[in-house]
Amino acid sequence: MAERCAVVGIAQTHHKKVRDDVSLAGLLREAGQRALDDAAMTWRDVDAVVIGTAPDSFEGVMMPELYLADALGAAGKPIMRVHTAGSVGGSTAIVATHLVQSGVRKRVLTIAFEKQSEGDTTWGLSGGRSGGVGAGGYFAPHIRAYIERSQAPEYVGWMVAVKDRLNALKNPYAHLKVPDITLEKVRDSPMVWEPVRRLESCPASDGACAMVLTDEAGGDRAPRPPAWVHGTAIRSELGQFPGRDPVNPQGGRDCAADVYAQAGITDPRREVDVVEMYVPFSWYEPMWLENLGFADVGQGWKLTEDGVTELTGALPVNCSGGVLSSNPIGASGMLRFAEAAMQVRGTAGEHQVEGARTAVGHAYGGAAQFFAMWVVRSTKP
Amino acid sequence: MRDVAIVSFATTGPLPAVDDTETQMLFPVISEAIERSGIPRADIGFTCSGSADYLAGTPFAFVGNLEAVGAWPPISESHVDMDGAWAMYEAWVRLQHGDVDVALAFSSGISSRSDLREVLCLQNDPYYLMPLWADHGSLAGLQARAVAEAGLVDEVVDTVAAPPASDGAAAVIMVAGDRAREVCERPAWIRGIEHRSDPHYIGVRDLADVPSAQVAAAAAGVGGGPIDLAELSAAHPHEEVLLRRAMGLADLVEVNAGADPLMVAGLAHIGAAATAIHEGRAGRTLGHAASGPCLQQNLVCVMEGTP
Amino acid sequence: MAEDTATEDPGAPVRFMPQLIGLDYTIKTNPVAAAFGAALADGRITGHRCPSCQRVYAPPKGFCPICVVPTGEADLVEVADRGLVTSWTVLTPIQYAGQKEREDYALASILLDGADGTIGQQRLVDVPLDEIRMGLRVEAVWAPPDERVADDRGYGLGSAVSGWRPTGEPDAPPSAYQEHTL
Repeated sequence: MAERCAVVGIAQTHHKKVRDDVSLAGLLREAGQRALDDAAMTWRDVDAVVIGTAPDSFEGVMMPELYLADALGAAGKPIMRVHTAGSVGGSTAIVATHLVQSGVRKRVLTIAFEKQSEGDTTWGLSGGRSGGVGAGGYFAPHIRAYIERSQAPEYVGWMVAVKDRLNALKNPYAHLKVPDITLEKVRDSPMVWEPVRRLESCPASDGACAMVLTDEAGGDRAPRPPAWVHGTAIRSELGQFPGRDPVNPQGGRDCAADVYAQAGITDPRREVDVVEMYVPFSWYEPMWLENLGFADVGQGWKLTEDGVTELTGALPVNCSGGVLSSNPIGASGMLRFAEAAMQVRGTAGEHQVEGARTAVGHAYGGAAQFFAMWVVRSTKP
Repeated sequence: MRDVAIVSFATTGPLPAVDDTETQMLFPVISEAIERSGIPRADIGFTCSGSADYLAGTPFAFVGNLEAVGAWPPISESHVDMDGAWAMYEAWVRLQHGDVDVALAFSSGISSRSDLREVLCLQNDPYYLMPLWADHGSLAGLQARAVAEAGLVDEVVDTVAAPPASDGAAAVIMVAGDRAREVCERPAWIRGIEHRSDPHYIGVRDLADVPSAQVAAAAAGVGGGPIDLAELSAAHPHEEVLLRRAMGLADLVEVNAGADPLMVAGLAHIGAAATAIHEGRAGRTLGHAASGPCLQQNLVCVMEGTP
Repeated sequence: MAEDTATEDPGAPVRFMPQLIGLDYTIKTNPVAAAFGAALADGRITGHRCPSCQRVYAPPKGFCPICVVPTGEADLVEVADRGLVTSWTVLTPIQYAGQKEREDYALASILLDGADGTIGQQRLVDVPLDEIRMGLRVEAVWAPPDERVADDRGYGLGSAVSGWRPTGEPDAPPSAYQEHTL
């Protein structure tokens, strides 16, 4: 039987367009140091380091675990680097979890990061060639297909944008803050990738997220209440083949079913207190609500419309402000996992959902073909 | 720890410049490893791969490689931007978790389409080292000098030659417990697998030593018995000297050393060490992977024919 | 590469400086793509029919990723140079290094008649951007024969097809494209 895994330390950097006050290594150290502080541990206490980031071409550093080993106290220790496209922050947390659950390591430091300002992400995404579509251009057709199929009103996308941006105002680490956000302001923002408007899109951020994971004994010793991992799941599917449905991908459905089964969840809509899902463009909230089993197919947008996903709603979604407010790409998935853990630890500050005991963290990547999820609770499995 | 064994291995070996895409190159290798294991593809519970975007010259290069696996229906799968040996390590960890019994690890690399000397410069610290464009061969030259000055070799061999630039792919199937015995006459049981990193800045390292290889080898249990065959990822002769010393390999131990193809070499060496057990040529073997300039990062896998 | 913030105020400390890295890669045309490209030069679009599931992949991959079986010349089929738009977007091009696009343009996934998989990110031409819709019937606009250079990158059609324009046929019904968003 697997060892229990506890999240005993969580930290993130302030996410900004340009973190010109730190190097790449400094950015990771900032998150790592604060996660260790949270766990009342030092760099010496760490058995292994697992880092994750998006394609190396985003920053121009090949296999950055080599350069970062020194700054992360990994000399003399095992360090590895995960890369699963946009889901990487989630996948990285899961690799770290497995190192603990397998009994191979007792204390693992995991950090995911991106310093978009030190490269050119759109250039990186295009492989340097003209005519690159960027992530928005890639996902826009899927969003259009969702709108057409579900007959959702256009303002649902605006509502998600307003909700997440209001939540971001409660998150001191969030990058994009638009205090005077309104439906009209979203509606009137420029169309970037039809049907996606600028204020329905994620920013480009510098930032990192770190977590300290330990075995059960470490969780019991932790100075603050830990979050306990009740399930992890990853799924990958082919990016493009005849008959594939990128709007409601099978991989996402399977991933959710797997992680709920591990956590003993049979009715996610009622048994989950708070959800952090990977929503880089506003319409992915209703799309993933359906994909992850929180709503029936074609009905996800009604939860948004009815205010169910607001911070004070019955199923709060992206209380941190989500990817729409901060997007250090490689870290974005781990930030979802970390926010879920913060919620059940009761350490989410102003964006805390009162009494949250069961939370879901979710990330996706590639052509909406890579999925990573975990379920965390305030109680032991 | 659960008993986990490598039950099959397939590789292209080092190829000169291939015409195929990375995915096309991988396709028969993965299929061959699966067929040799005798295990249906659908029984694979976890898949992990290793490759490098910068070798391919395109971001998300690994995504297309899923097509060589047949990821439909969806599979439980992950990827490291590292040598396939670390993908195998992640898969081994997953098998230790206990809910999965069969895992596939594979890797691929095409070095022939770029200038490796330039590309690998991007592994260096981006602020202080990379702008110097100090390539792996030059850094290896510094290490060779240190090895000679420490008296570990008689003369400095010219290591500033162009690094190997072959292409290739490799795949292994790992199985836990009794099922490994059912599908393989002589499974290569993994007695220990460990990896460590040394500091990145060569200025703070004693280049005549490889502590990370020493610690990884000790933690993997190399000293627990005689090694019949060691498969080492050593790009230059002095690296083999350093690795033998660090791992405590006796002079008589048979060593196969060689570092190409990049991203595949480590997994291929482990696979070759496993094959020696499968074929009854050896009872206890060692496979090794290295990453980074001057053997910065090392992984050691010790296998035995009896559990 | 980072923007050079120091140029705004010569007296300010240097926080960023550009470091442009150029790497050269030789892009090879694999044998399957080479045969596909030769047919394109001839004005034909070819694919492979999987011998197991009968799905037609155009461009061909040399294998069926669903059945995980190889495909080859024995599985060669020709598909039409016309089909329907299954999904689309209009892009406002971001001006990154190397970007040549300046004006808004439309990209679509197109399901060719006789193929089972779509070809993605195809340029739509000769149609107002606000008249693009799913189910729109389109046909290839072939480049002059001496300009038809196939490449191994992107989506395989290289410069052989410069875009897709409406045929004027009635739109295809939703059932024709709902399973082919990608």
